[in-house]
Amino acid sequence: MSVTDRGAGPLARADAAVHPAPPETPGRVLVPYGQGRIRGLDAGELGAHGAAMDRLVALGLPVVPGLTVPAGASASLCEPGTARAAVELVEQVSGRRVGDAGRPLLLRLSAGAPTEIAGLPPDLACLGVTPDNAEALCAVIGREEALYEAWAASVRMIAEYALDVPGAPLDDALLDTPAPRARVEALLALVARHGSQPFPDDPAQQLALAARALLARWDTPRARRSRRAQRLPADLALALYVQALRIGPADHSGYGTAVSRHPETGRFSPQGSFFRGVRRSAPPPHTGEPLDRLAGGTALLEHSLLTLERHLHAPVSVDFEVRDDEIALLAASAQQRPPLRASVCLAADLAREGALGREEAVLRITPAQVQELLHPQFRLTGTEELLVRGLPASPGAAAGVIALSSERALELGADGTQVVLVAHETTPADVPGMLASAAVLTGSGGIASHAAVVARGAGRPAVCGADGLRVDRAVGTVRIGGRVLREGDAVSLDGRSGAVYAGALPVSVAGPPPDLSTLLEWADETRRLAVRVNADTAAEVDTAVALGAEGVGLCRTEHQFLGERLPLIRRVILAADPAARDEALVALERAQHEDFRALLTAVGNRPVTVRLLDAPLHEFLPAPGQALDAAEEQRAAALREANPMLGLRGVRLALLHERLYPAQAEALFAAWVDVAATGVRPALEVMVPLISLPEELAAAAAYVREAADAVAARTGVRVPYRLGTMVETPRAALLAGELAEHAEFFSFGTNDLTQLTYGFSRDDVERQVLASYQERGFLTASPFARLDPHGVGALIALAVERARSVRPGIKLGVCGEHGGDPESIAFCDGLGLDYVSCSAHRVPVARMAAAHSVLGRRHEESGSAR
Amino acid sequence: MRSVAVDGTDALDESLTEAVVDLVLRGMWRGRPESEYRPLVDAGLAMVKGPMVLPTERAKETGARILRVGAGTGQEQQITAAYRAFLPVNRRLREVCTAWQCRPDGTPNDHSDLAYDAQVREALEDVHEAIQPVLRRLERALAGSGQYLTALEEALDRFDDGGTEWLASPLCDSYHTVWMRLHQELLLVLGVSRAQDEALEEELLAGDRG
Repeated sequence: MSVTDRGAGPLARADAAVHPAPPETPGRVLVPYGQGRIRGLDAGELGAHGAAMDRLVALGLPVVPGLTVPAGASASLCEPGTARAAVELVEQVSGRRVGDAGRPLLLRLSAGAPTEIAGLPPDLACLGVTPDNAEALCAVIGREEALYEAWAASVRMIAEYALDVPGAPLDDALLDTPAPRARVEALLALVARHGSQPFPDDPAQQLALAARALLARWDTPRARRSRRAQRLPADLALALYVQALRIGPADHSGYGTAVSRHPETGRFSPQGSFFRGVRRSAPPPHTGEPLDRLAGGTALLEHSLLTLERHLHAPVSVDFEVRDDEIALLAASAQQRPPLRASVCLAADLAREGALGREEAVLRITPAQVQELLHPQFRLTGTEELLVRGLPASPGAAAGVIALSSERALELGADGTQVVLVAHETTPADVPGMLASAAVLTGSGGIASHAAVVARGAGRPAVCGADGLRVDRAVGTVRIGGRVLREGDAVSLDGRSGAVYAGALPVSVAGPPPDLSTLLEWADETRRLAVRVNADTAAEVDTAVALGAEGVGLCRTEHQFLGERLPLIRRVILAADPAARDEALVALERAQHEDFRALLTAVGNRPVTVRLLDAPLHEFLPAPGQALDAAEEQRAAALREANPMLGLRGVRLALLHERLYPAQAEALFAAWVDVAATGVRPALEVMVPLISLPEELAAAAAYVREAADAVAARTGVRVPYRLGTMVETPRAALLAGELAEHAEFFSFGTNDLTQLTYGFSRDDVERQVLASYQERGFLTASPFARLDPHGVGALIALAVERARSVRPGIKLGVCGEHGGDPESIAFCDGLGLDYVSCSAHRVPVARMAAAHSVLGRRHEESGSAR
Repeated sequence: MRSVAVDGTDALDESLTEAVVDLVLRGMWRGRPESEYRPLVDAGLAMVKGPMVLPTERAKETGARILRVGAGTGQEQQITAAYRAFLPVNRRLREVCTAWQCRPDGTPNDHSDLAYDAQVREALEDVHEAIQPVLRRLERALAGSGQYLTALEEALDRFDDGGTEWLASPLCDSYHTVWMRLHQELLLVLGVSRAQDEALEEELLAGDRG
């Protein structure tokens, strides 16, 4: 988008509107900056730049003097008469004259298309320099090289494209004569020898040749290929621009670029650099200076950027000229791809100023962008040992063990070990090692080093240029920062910050930055659907609440039985006699009580859905040969199943081991009583898994009721709770009406429901089937990532309808992974579900997606009403 | 494993010479038939790691010795001149690859912005235009170096045919892969270390500051 987008259609035909003026009035086709609209010309004729300059003038911002030769008439600038008129007009608007020694003026010719495109011919600066006046100009600037370098570039272009000098000798001359001044002389000598005419001294003749060179360059195979690649018309006409290049002392003159917002924070804070001397399209590297060194200050620049932002409603960028410490704009546009943080902050700023509605601001940031802003990073506690900070060369965070050679990296990587390849410098021989590694660390090179290019090409996080890295391959050690590490030691590196830490750090999701939090709060005001988290521990709940979760939609209690508690549950299931079983149950109940108390404390006064045990039996059985004795071995063998995922699982296990659910429920209710004593009252929801018969639910509900009674008898407190069920089998969905007689809420377990509706075993089809189905076009996305609206979705819709017909106020939610997918969330919102529940790191995404769903539907409705 | 002494290049027959140089310059072979790499492995010049064949330290030394031109010779001077012209373009090529992979704000380039990609392609064209006279000169001084221009052009063609990996992917003979090989050959031919190379590149760029 450029400053012109609000007026002109893109790529308007350029030739029709402007008629080249008759030869006797050569200046008629020239349009000074700011006068295009008055003459009825738009971006089609003026080009994006000409129209942008018009707009800048209209906004009252300072612009560099110059003129446009509209697209339909640009060839006329190759004629001496028009070129002379152009020189005179620029002299007039700038108040200077070419050749004036005191206030010197040169000209700069550039080309533009109706929109911002790539592949335009390079700008030709320094028109008007001659061997005779060059000395005097250098004296004004105070630096010699700047002028000669820019001049050499112009001569090179004009020689090849307007004076028919072959390219090869010109290339050779540039290779052989590195000094800028000698270069100009060598190039002019070549023009004298091979050129169709001598290089003129007259500025108008130079300008006419320069125009011819730019247009010829626009007609080369290279330029045509570029137009094709951008799907631009082959005969796209260019507008030409003649700008004043006002020469002044390097201490007070130059040129630069600036964007309105800081890329990291997104705040309004002009960022950019400026260069002293004569403007060039590709400034020499490492010569830019920060904006705060502008002797005349940045107030005018800030004013310009702010004015443009308010006008364009986008983060903006400008090119500017500094002459005698004053700023004049050379170009301005909305940033093509502003940094995400900048877009977020701007949306919040505009809404706070009243320039946008809050809902419009929310709509500007997509759920996918929310995800992007919450990229994974190391979970830092402040106790990590920072070894060194290098250059962030390839994004991502990874941990692994050090390998000091490709060979070692390949060996370690072969058995699945995460490896970080560490090398002082990289050669082609290190590429195989980089491919086998999880991340790359080098001691030399920068973000554009070969190592960085390869790492990004292979999608590996990398930190380059870590100072003081010393590799000693002979003894297998590396010194990083002050520490000596051995091959095989763990390190962690963050390719976004350049930080390298000792040891393997855990990776987690970043919290939203402040302005995103604001937008998410506004999204919360808009959305209807509640967002909860799937969390099993107090720590996960804390993380999710900080990310905006309104409660826990799924607490899986399986982990309470695994790990160090596995022997207890094993004793319950394989117990030889009831006494041993009861003893084990008591121990389990005690352990769960502690878990639940921590969880409920973290939940606070929010709702929390606790799912009673749902794990396939085989996870609790000892591996063959690992049982305590032959009798237990026999009992375990009798319990092994052919297909555990469809076997003795969920409520089925609980109905066979009748003390399991009561023990869990009693632990839960007793924990609630403890927590309630501290003044916190979580809204408890007890959920029964893997139901397919209403009778199963009725039986499980009775267990829970008895547990509540037992706790009430013991403590005198009647714990308020709701009882509900997972809907994760097709039969449960079909019998939703009957289930609703026993259940106060449903939670759709869309992972299992998808598996059972398709008859897919997830792990197997993901490995063998889904990719091929997607390739064939049978599926557009994995049904495990995006809820299938036609099959699984239809079952949910039917269940919702049947359940509500029996119990109108029944609470309905989704707790599969789909709860974090924007399209699936919109589907759930459309069905009128009450909440979605997803993993903690997707909570902000779900909040935004739920708001977009409402706004999108509102937009559709207003559209169809019209 | 059978080990053969390879103290001098005399000990290697010509096919092995060519192969060891190729392996050293490429850094690895993938998907080559065993008949090609077996002789190198037997000679202690290559090792097999899973699907890859890597040069041994001995191979690297041998390759360097084979490639090194006579110090102080006219040939060395000519190649040095080409190498000095190569270095500033080398920096630009790496910047082009960086721009192709990452947008200026550091986020990965997802190639959804035609104009941005076209701009990078233009910068690549500038690099390609700039390297051609350098390679023409190099070819006069270093036999066989003409292959690089051919390989670069082939990568460029494939890139323009829509194979976006042909600019910077390390997994094919992309523009960058071929370029790295050219760079490595220049270093070995002239006996320049990576550290010297980096310092010289900085120096030449500093000299370019106006």
